[in-house]
Amino acid sequence: MKKYFTDIFSGIWNLLKGMKITGKVLVSPAVTECYPEKRDELQPKERFRAELTMPHNENNEHKCTACGICAMNCPNQTITVNKSKITDENGKSKIVLDQYLYDLGSCIFCGLCSRVCPQGAIEFTNNFEHAVYTRSKLIKQLNKPGSKKVEVAKPVAPAAKPASAPAQQEKEAAPKQENENNQ
Amino acid sequence: MEDIKKLLAKVAPGKEVAEGTQYPTIELEPNEVRAVAKKLKEAGFDYLINLTGVDYTDALGTVYHISSSTNKTAVVVLKTKTADREEPVLYTVSDIWKSADLYEREVYDFFGIRFIDHPDMRRIFLRGDWKGFPFRKDYNEVNDTPTTNVNIDSLETLPSITLDKEGKIIEKSKQLFGNNEYVVNFGPQHPATHGVLHLRVSLDGEIVKKVDPNFGYIHRGIEKMCESLTYPQILPYTERLDYLSGSINRHAFCMCVEKAAGIEVPQRAQYIRCIFDELTRVASHLLGWGCMAMDMGAITAFIYGMRDREKIMDIFEENAGGRLMPAYSIIGGLTKDVVPNFQQTVSDFVAYMRESIKEYHTLFTGNPIATGRMHNVGWLTKETAVALGTTGPTGRASGWSNDVRKLAPYAAYDKVKFNEVLRNTDTCKGDSFDRYIIRLDEVLESLNIIEQLNDNLPTDGVNVKVPAIVKLPEGEYYQRAESARGDFGVYIKSDGNKNPYRVKFRSPCMTLISALDPLCKGEKIADLITIGASLDYVIPCADR
Amino acid sequence: MSLELIDGINKIHTLLTDNIEATWVSLIEYVLVGLGFLTLYALIALFLIIFERKICAYFQCRLGPNRVGPWGIFQVIADMVKILTKEIIPLKHNDKLLYYAAPFIVIMGSLLTFGGLQFAEGVYGVDFNVGVFYLLAVSSISIIGVMLAGWSSNNKYSLIGAMRSGAQVISFELSACLSMMAIVILGGSMNLSALMAAQEDAWFIFQSPFTWVALVIYLIAAHAETNRGPFDLPEAESELTAGYHVEYSGITFGFFYVAEYCNLFINAAIGTLVFLGGWQALHIPGCEGFNAVMDAIPSYIWMFGKTLVLIFLSLWVRWTFPRLRIDQLLHLEWKIMLPFSLANILLMAIWVIYFK
Repeated sequence: MKKYFTDIFSGIWNLLKGMKITGKVLVSPAVTECYPEKRDELQPKERFRAELTMPHNENNEHKCTACGICAMNCPNQTITVNKSKITDENGKSKIVLDQYLYDLGSCIFCGLCSRVCPQGAIEFTNNFEHAVYTRSKLIKQLNKPGSKKVEVAKPVAPAAKPASAPAQQEKEAAPKQENENNQ
Repeated sequence: MEDIKKLLAKVAPGKEVAEGTQYPTIELEPNEVRAVAKKLKEAGFDYLINLTGVDYTDALGTVYHISSSTNKTAVVVLKTKTADREEPVLYTVSDIWKSADLYEREVYDFFGIRFIDHPDMRRIFLRGDWKGFPFRKDYNEVNDTPTTNVNIDSLETLPSITLDKEGKIIEKSKQLFGNNEYVVNFGPQHPATHGVLHLRVSLDGEIVKKVDPNFGYIHRGIEKMCESLTYPQILPYTERLDYLSGSINRHAFCMCVEKAAGIEVPQRAQYIRCIFDELTRVASHLLGWGCMAMDMGAITAFIYGMRDREKIMDIFEENAGGRLMPAYSIIGGLTKDVVPNFQQTVSDFVAYMRESIKEYHTLFTGNPIATGRMHNVGWLTKETAVALGTTGPTGRASGWSNDVRKLAPYAAYDKVKFNEVLRNTDTCKGDSFDRYIIRLDEVLESLNIIEQLNDNLPTDGVNVKVPAIVKLPEGEYYQRAESARGDFGVYIKSDGNKNPYRVKFRSPCMTLISALDPLCKGEKIADLITIGASLDYVIPCADR
Repeated sequence: MSLELIDGINKIHTLLTDNIEATWVSLIEYVLVGLGFLTLYALIALFLIIFERKICAYFQCRLGPNRVGPWGIFQVIADMVKILTKEIIPLKHNDKLLYYAAPFIVIMGSLLTFGGLQFAEGVYGVDFNVGVFYLLAVSSISIIGVMLAGWSSNNKYSLIGAMRSGAQVISFELSACLSMMAIVILGGSMNLSALMAAQEDAWFIFQSPFTWVALVIYLIAAHAETNRGPFDLPEAESELTAGYHVEYSGITFGFFYVAEYCNLFINAAIGTLVFLGGWQALHIPGCEGFNAVMDAIPSYIWMFGKTLVLIFLSLWVRWTFPRLRIDQLLHLEWKIMLPFSLANILLMAIWVIYFK
């Protein structure tokens, strides 16, 4: 009999203690945020993988050599690298990138492509607002129209280099610097 | 190791124990398996970790990983195979180890090996009318499987085979439910099955008479896909098995490959991996706690669990770049070092979480409605837990000490002091409440581990150089890890190529789901939901 | 305002009686009053829906609806429009008549209750001499609708939900009635106006300690009758998906939804009228100045304010506790609340004999 009453009253007491917890939350501010209004404050963290991009420098140049290692490594066949063979003015044939197609819809954001890229030509950025109206818009071309591969300085010791072209040397050094920063 | 070899010599006289393998291995003829298995069971090997089907090209076979609930560190491997590819049959061990029930159905589904005297030889993941057995190496992917399932009856009829006196195969079948049974479908779309699990429940009023889980609604054939992927490519798929302990699965796969390839991972990477594993476990248990509360009707508690889990997700996002799928471990270490304020963030979180747990106890553990619903419901004895192979918190709630972190320490777990959270075996009933409370206790223990690791983070690098194309030497490799739901295992059979020959993931969730039927019998509908929530299974882990 | 309202109604009445025949006048007036109640009914439901969504969001550290209108207050209007335009999905193998009748019966049950309630001083539909009895009787009509819905849907979930609902409402009805009977003993009447008059000096909760016991029992029982968590077994989202109304869509579902919120209001309003003095202001005998200040607050504010407090309590409970299991539910009713309310009636009678 005694247990019957103590059970009831301790039960009610414990229920009230639970209500105290929710009551405390009721008067404390919400943890959720209004999304489009506070867009500027609510940026994802720097390393967040949201979209694959191919950075271009100010001369509309990228670092992709169209080797296709990224496409080979992608577990989901998300990347298509269309390339063609051209002959440049010196008569040397080389492979250039035509189209770097990235299907955002089938990307699983594992980061393998950017990790294996020997040139550091592709990287994941923070833009997470992917909503589009048709699925075909999710297939993105990453190389900008008219862009070309950046000419990287030949790995030659500076002393051995002819001193006749200092201006050119500077120009080549800039993208190299950028390359190091990216890594 | 020597003791086990002696034991093996006793249970399987005349059989040679293979040299150079990770675990003591013996190969058996199909008709010897049952005798050896019985003797092993008598010798205390009562826990079947894993049963893997393998296509050896010239033969089809199975690999049994067996351990013991008393001699916890011991693992033995049995192998058997049959050369008959047309009508392959093997002998069942499902009456010796209950957990083999589902494993053998899986082997039948993937390889077409039928098990003699197995009571239920339905396909498990694929449809009943599927043509061919996809894990066979000669499987033709282009086949005439109809696009719509015309053979729904295959769910209801349990085929089985048995041998007559002359050794001929006799086919039998029986019905799952009687004609007068009130069978209700819980799922595949149901709020409380935690995913697309299909439970067919036979009811008598409010009382559950029988539960028949039907798998495969989220079967993606990950193991089959792995056979055509390189090792780094498999990594993102491991996270998608049990998405709530993704980091741990990935860690386990990395360890397996590293062990096989002989890659030594720097200490710092191992510590950080362990911190991430434990954070994942905390996050998973918080979600498990919240989902359990929500399944019992307390939606607010669920939101509180999610609120605190969000802090872990933020840590993942900041360091690894992903939230649910951090993709942090890679073969040879980590993708990047942690951010400079990592240690501060983690220790802040640990302090915050300890306060939150107290709040959870006040809000939910103390609630008489909640305790009334959890106490004395869904008893799982230690023996049943071992037989079913329900590892992890569920098994430990029944008093079965099975923490892989303790019994086969990996990464940095041998460098920290922690207790295996175990419900007291004397007073323990192994009911829903034990399974509930053990998760919150484990969160506290995980916070202890995180604190120790976080305070002693070594300063060597976070990864070592691995070859661009990882190739494993020929052989079989097995790695166990303690995921948030139990004993997660990775079995890799390599033939020396850049792709694995066969990959099998030991799913802790499949055995958890198989525990539903024995646990729910005689309980009420509401208890079915509570028990399901207390087992805390994740369907993609079971379906793979 | 309530007096002005009555004045206005009287003016309309004289206007009508001066011009039209008496029978037509009553007919027109019935229709007008009915329309008034319907409007009030809809408005209360709309208000409560947004109120609950906001409150529940704050309990769950969320913001709640905030897109349509300031603080999202027009969200509920948008939802109403949506639910009106949704398709009513017909079922094949069910009892059509009962299936479509069920939502109306549920709505009717709660709408009829409005006739017996008092919203402010002198503002009520009918002042029955057995007002309390009428309210109790009518408010439990909706269970028939629930049972019919569950049965006629030809769905296993909804059948289980309906059966649970039957067991639950019938048992908790008992406690609700018994706790009200204690008040009837104290007030000496079943007539709501008489009960109001008896609470002029002090509300019933200040007249006897046993009123508190009755109030707690009534609140629990009334909460259980509304089929809302922790007593939402008939719906039991995580067990029976939606219970008895799992097969309803569009406005047929909307009826169940609206009725649920109106029942919430009705139960709180009955509680207010019977225990908390209804539209009576808070009076302390002897403090004339204080009483005068309290009297300055209009009676409908008292009524709706107190009702809102009870509704808030109910929401607080709903968003904190897990759901009971059917055996716990019956245990609570038959082994705890029923003995307590029976004992309470006895004690109340003794109290009335000796102290009043």
